Amino acid sequence: MKGVTRLVWIVIAAGLVLAPLGLPPFAMTLLTEAVILGLFAMSLDLMFGYTRLVSFGHAAAYGFGAYASGWLLLHTGMPLLFAVFAAALLTGVLAIGVGWMCTLATGVSFSMLTLALAQLLYAISFKWTSVTGGSDGLAGIPRTIGPFGFAALSSKTGFYYLALACLVGGFLVCLALVRSPFGAVLRGIRENEAKTTALGYNTRLYKIAVVAISYGLGGLAGALYAPFAGFANTELLFWLLSGQVLIMVIVGGSGTLVGPVLGAAFFMLMEHQLSAWTEAWALYFGLIFIAFVLFAPEGLWGLATRLRRPARPGP
Amino acid sequence: MSVPLLELDGVTRRYGALVALDHVDLKVEAGEVRAVIGPNGAGKTTLFNVITGTVRPTAGAIRFAGQAIGRRPSHEVCRLGISRTFQITALFPEMSARANAQLAAQARHARRWQPFGGNKIFKEARARADAALEQLGLSGIADCPAGLLSHGDQRLLEVAMAMAQQPQMLLLDEPTQGLSVEETAQAVDTLARFLKASRMTVLLVEHDMEVVFRLAHRITVLHRGAVIADGVPDAVKADPRVQEAYLGGFD
Repeated sequence: MKGVTRLVWIVIAAGLVLAPLGLPPFAMTLLTEAVILGLFAMSLDLMFGYTRLVSFGHAAAYGFGAYASGWLLLHTGMPLLFAVFAAALLTGVLAIGVGWMCTLATGVSFSMLTLALAQLLYAISFKWTSVTGGSDGLAGIPRTIGPFGFAALSSKTGFYYLALACLVGGFLVCLALVRSPFGAVLRGIRENEAKTTALGYNTRLYKIAVVAISYGLGGLAGALYAPFAGFANTELLFWLLSGQVLIMVIVGGSGTLVGPVLGAAFFMLMEHQLSAWTEAWALYFGLIFIAFVLFAPEGLWGLATRLRRPARPGP
Repeated sequence: MSVPLLELDGVTRRYGALVALDHVDLKVEAGEVRAVIGPNGAGKTTLFNVITGTVRPTAGAIRFAGQAIGRRPSHEVCRLGISRTFQITALFPEMSARANAQLAAQARHARRWQPFGGNKIFKEARARADAALEQLGLSGIADCPAGLLSHGDQRLLEVAMAMAQQPQMLLLDEPTQGLSVEETAQAVDTLARFLKASRMTVLLVEHDMEVVFRLAHRITVLHRGAVIADGVPDAVKADPRVQEAYLGGFD
């Protein structure tokens, strides 16, 4: 079985690396967006899947990262690579404050605080016209090459590889994190936070740290989106996106890192296929979502691993 | 007499008009198993919460191994060497028994928060976890998810988790709470064997008098937040105030 799993991984990796050779430009655009959204969903999984910190405002990370990298690219002439990572870093650092504030509360109140902060940013993006462009957003965001070369990254194919590298890099960081002693404490918080505190862990610090890392990676995804799409607008901060990314994580399979990436791709595919067929695509996707919650709460990745492994012996 | 490991001096805790603890003095020597008994609402759990820093005393001082701990947050008190179990079972239900004990042991490691690698940290924590499971006779179910264990084993696992932290002192809040008569007998046998072998300093809150008289060296009786008796089990049993306040027709 192990050999088969490895083979599947090699095929997927080869497919992603070789995709630009075979796919038409239109499909490459979709795939790049799926990779970016996959990174976004994966970042939320750290909080939602591994720590049971339910963020209803994860769009704040994505939108903030997008506006930050868009602004840097438009106004400072900073090269693409630097602007993207600077925006992600800025998101992560500011998220320490978000984490500090939101972890004053727990449970639903925590979620409401994340939502409130995201809505605050949404309102600011409308009102602070001189920086955000108001309801028009930032348009014409360039993929500045800069003095150090990296010209290849600015092409359509090059940008795809940049996004893919960020996704793989983000995955490796998250994987190391959840398998580390730090990750073990996160699982403790997920299952019984009071007990984790009683064992001598300062759980609030762990939660603030995981919010900062999660928002930082979400900010990285947003920072990639702005130069990918060429614009950043208020929709990237809207609560609808916060809800959609939660759906991606749940449909893909929370607490697995890979699952949410699959979930994001599945969401995009469904949006694309269903919207070509009916305007009410969200209604049908809603039904699919309900079916997942009822019949496959472990998500797409859980279904895949269930097929791969023989059924676990019961307790 | 040597310097006590744990010393409470005039500890008072008020909740508005209610006095949950009323000038409690308590000394627990190293190696002693001390039981705190008293009717419901006598302040036993508040006493635990005050010692572990979950609740701050309104007045009075608490010293542990010579250090004042009355104003410290619970995770710091815990790290000084006081580990506790809860009246209501508190475990990580989806983790194995070993993973439960391992996470408890990890909390004592200087690099418990390390965000990468950690094989060495895990190995050390696992060794301590396995030793603690062994002490409580739980080696056989180490790989079983904690949520699927029998209630008796869950209570013992909590003690094992506390022991995996290699504490100087153990606070047990009603270790046989919710157990059937047979389960209680088994759990008490295991606890008695473990306490005798480990010479651990223990503060024990327990409702079941048979359990108390079997495990404790000394007994402190709380009534409405105040200490009304303190001594060896037979003396306490014979104390008329205790009989009136609590034991009723025990003999």
